[in-house]
Amino acid sequence: MDAYFYIILGVGLLSTIICVVAGILKKAPNDVTILSVAAVELALLVYLVGSIVRVIAGERIAGEAWEFWGYIVTALMLPVAAVYWSILERTRWSNFVLAAVGVTALVMAARMNQIWY
Amino acid sequence: MTATSSEHTAKKPADTRNTGPGRLLIAVYAVFAISATARAGYQILTKFSEAPLAYVLSAFAALVYVVATVSLAKAGRTWFKVSVIAVLVELIGVLVVGALSVFDAVQFPHETVWSLFGRGYAFIPLILPVLGLIWLYRRRPAPRSA
Repeated sequence: MDAYFYIILGVGLLSTIICVVAGILKKAPNDVTILSVAAVELALLVYLVGSIVRVIAGERIAGEAWEFWGYIVTALMLPVAAVYWSILERTRWSNFVLAAVGVTALVMAARMNQIWY
Repeated sequence: MTATSSEHTAKKPADTRNTGPGRLLIAVYAVFAISATARAGYQILTKFSEAPLAYVLSAFAALVYVVATVSLAKAGRTWFKVSVIAVLVELIGVLVVGALSVFDAVQFPHETVWSLFGRGYAFIPLILPVLGLIWLYRRRPAPRSA
């Protein structure tokens, strides 16, 4: 596990906790929960850019390269889809949808790390 | 949909399952549909001959998740029935494949979503159909006479 994973672990868990608490408190998605998911997206983008730089610099992905890129591209789409959906329906349940992004992102980041090394 | 969502549950029991908790359910199903499809596609394309049965099951599981996701998102009586069937198939699948992978590790040595009752996925595949059935029951279409 590298620094990218731990960044996503931290940001993802924090985002999930914020969104679950907001959902339990019966709040509709607000700036705080949506921005926490945006932070997850940002962390994933850092991972993407970092990975591209490493490949250009000559580092080799140990596992299947296209599997790694497939994971990261899918992971990048999740926060966008969840935020879009939470804007369509502004109820507490959308906060739980947003909460799912953080844990999913960290599971996918763990898998991406496994593929890379 | 957005303007009346707060009142439509109380006034007319609309034949939909894609609001409130159903949204969360669909979101989790969608994540499983995507990951199971990707995984099954990968397994079949790269190493199908190693364990054809397990990978065909993987593909079948992926299909069930896709059908469940789509049907839960759709309104109407027909989609309700499709949802019930998809979720029931999912429940039976995870129970049968889970049990087989425990007792017959020779035939099922390779990972599928449903192996060991979905342990590789934090047992979510086992919990999801139960929550799905509860949700479908609570949002069942009103009797035709009403």
